[in-house]
Amino acid sequence: MISVTNLTKFHGSQRVLNGVSLTVNRGEVTALVGPSGGGKSTLLRCINGLETFQSGGVEVAGNKLAGGPTHDSRVLQKLRLSVGMVFQQFHLFPHMSVLDNVMSGPLYALKQKRGEAEATARKLLDRVGLKEKADARPANLSGGQQQRVAIARTLAVKPLAVLFDEPTSALDPQMAKEVLAVMRDLAADGQTMIVVTHDMDFAERATVVHLMQAGEIVKSGPPAEILKEHR
Amino acid sequence: MKKLPSCRRFALALLLLSLPALATAQEKKPLRWGTDPTGGAPYIYRDKTGEYTGFEFELAEYLAEKLDRKSVLVEGDWANLPQQLKKPADVENGVDIILNGYELRKDLAAKYGVTRPYYVYRLTLMASKESDTTTWDDLPGKSVGVLGGSAAHRYVKKRYGRTVDLKTNPDVANVMKLVNDRRMDATVQDSPAATYFLSEYGGLKGVGEPVQAGDLPGYYVIYYRKSDVELGKALDGALSAGLRDGTFKKIYSQKKYDLWNADQEALLPTLDKPWPPENLPAEESPWPDLIEELLLSAGMTVFLAVTSFPLAMAIGLTVALGRVYGVRLVSIPLGIYVEVIRGTPLLLQLFFLYYVIPEMLLNTERDWFIWLAKEISPLRAGILGLAINYSAYEAENYRAGLLAIPKGQMEAALALGMSRRTAIRRVVVPQAWRIVIPPVTNDFIALFKDTAACSILFVTELTRKYNELFNFNRDLVIELAFLTAGLYLAMSYPLALLARRLERRLAGGKGGHP
Ligand SMILES: Nc1ncnc2c1ncn2[C@@H]1O[C@H](COP(=O)(O)OP(=O)(O)OP(=O)(O)O)[C@@H](O)[C@H]1O
Ligand SMILES: [Mg+2]
Repeated sequence: MISVTNLTKFHGSQRVLNGVSLTVNRGEVTALVGPSGGGKSTLLRCINGLETFQSGGVEVAGNKLAGGPTHDSRVLQKLRLSVGMVFQQFHLFPHMSVLDNVMSGPLYALKQKRGEAEATARKLLDRVGLKEKADARPANLSGGQQQRVAIARTLAVKPLAVLFDEPTSALDPQMAKEVLAVMRDLAADGQTMIVVTHDMDFAERATVVHLMQAGEIVKSGPPAEILKEHR
Repeated sequence: MKKLPSCRRFALALLLLSLPALATAQEKKPLRWGTDPTGGAPYIYRDKTGEYTGFEFELAEYLAEKLDRKSVLVEGDWANLPQQLKKPADVENGVDIILNGYELRKDLAAKYGVTRPYYVYRLTLMASKESDTTTWDDLPGKSVGVLGGSAAHRYVKKRYGRTVDLKTNPDVANVMKLVNDRRMDATVQDSPAATYFLSEYGGLKGVGEPVQAGDLPGYYVIYYRKSDVELGKALDGALSAGLRDGTFKKIYSQKKYDLWNADQEALLPTLDKPWPPENLPAEESPWPDLIEELLLSAGMTVFLAVTSFPLAMAIGLTVALGRVYGVRLVSIPLGIYVEVIRGTPLLLQLFFLYYVIPEMLLNTERDWFIWLAKEISPLRAGILGLAINYSAYEAENYRAGLLAIPKGQMEAALALGMSRRTAIRRVVVPQAWRIVIPPVTNDFIALFKDTAACSILFVTELTRKYNELFNFNRDLVIELAFLTAGLYLAMSYPLALLARRLERRLAGGKGGHP
């Protein structure tokens, strides 16, 4: 469903990704681990087209991105509707209520009617345990609550896959737990996802783990195998 | 024996002491005369060689010679020339007399010394040769240009009230040109200016008969300080002599002026009568009228501000978006636009919009462009000019606002599948808007005061009206000035309060980004 082939990306003269290939099947949870600066974030950003790359290819649900200075904006938009992204810093929209944040994708990207969008949004808020915060402003929520809203916002457009870039790194352990619980719940439901994480408990339950180092996937395999050595 | 040398020494000392005195006696005392050379021909203007000429210029030269003084031209703004008599003559811009088409008026004669007339003018109505204006009675419904604060201004205002669209402007030549180009319907001018411009502009015609401006003939007189009694007498003597011995006739009949007529002949018999005449008609308006006029023009000020500012905001936002998100082909020209507009004065931009661009359009001689040129009315040019001027500042405000929004906001919106355009509209702009509200409100207050610049375009807003009213009501100069300033303050202070409240609410209310 997601396939990355021989992806190479430079920042200036620095080779950030060096021929990365990766396949993700429907319903799989893929964990990306590795030392800082290894290129994990960059890989995720290439997969949903936030970055361009020099060569290789990305394909998500039939939408193909190739190397070059720009991407075709129509392909990009279709691709992004099938692959959502959750950021380390949440990036909620501060001028909207929690409910409006969750509705923003359906309303402005899918052009749904308000009633339909609101019903979905409330259901999702319930799912992440924040039903009663619908009218709150993001600024008045804790970090863990904000990240859960961000997850609900991403799910609202019903993406085939979700990319998580260190979703709990900005949170203290208690709040991280709340967020991880939600993510486990999603995984159990068969949501396809790629998760960059330093949380070994979460990585242990992944379908596959890839170890990234200096722009390359140096090892791939079941969690037990990879994580043992990584530690 | 000893006495003689000492006597000689004394005489020598006396001689030496008196030398500087002799020198000053040879250098004539100046006769500083106040005039506004921009008022133009035929009063005072520069000829083809760049030298000053004009019938008033020649008159001043004549008077200085008669009084055995040296003529010194002192430039001033026409409407404010009488004020220059309030300062001493020997300071910068100080004058002994003002001589510039000022008519005999009760309020001025009460404050200043006034000479016998040097010319009798009438008011001439002029229109384009192709215009359907053929009598004075055709004026209602038309736009009529006059020199702000002049007798013509007062005459038209009194005779036609609000039935004509009165356009006041400090520059006669501009008005004539606009009528000539059919961008204005008609103009009423003092007969000397009319005579000159009728021969200058082929497209103009005199309409009907020239009329007398008031109950008395229109007397051009010279004003001086009330305390300068001797100067007044000397001037009257010189004026009477010039009229009697034919000097004036010789000056006025020159072909370039063509000003001598029966009205001037009729001055001769009045020279034996007392001057000034008793019971000059009072001209000033009652307070309720003045206040009503000021309030109406304050309404125009508000109208200019509330129409031009939203336009400025819209243009500014468009420019800012183009600069921040556009490709270089878009962002570079927009950057130039902002710098050009910010780097040139508002007054100049208004001139461009109202005079230069229509002139260029007319010169194309294409129907569509000519139509467009005639559609550029003073009000439209004013609103557009303010909007364009402020759009540059608004663009900079918005640009700063857009750049202040963290990159993650745009990325989050894109990741949800929004198009760039939707992300800008739904996510970035609303947040930037909050940041820019305080500077934008401040700019609105600034624009509010800058509407005064439209007064150069015949738009009768508050400042223009103040200029007109104090001209007609010289005794109320101070009261009118305070009233006008008070009106501006009454309109802008609530805005300032609002700005401060918004600022406080935005600063305290919400902590923005995670
Ligand atoms: N915009 C950029 N400009 C220049 N270099 C960049 C940019 N973004 C990332 N890099 C560089 O690319 C390399 C990979 O960065 P990336 O953020 O993908 O690593 P990471 O594996 O996500 O690390 P971390 O665990 O710290 O998040 C780093 O050396 C980083 O300095
Ligand atoms: Mg990273």
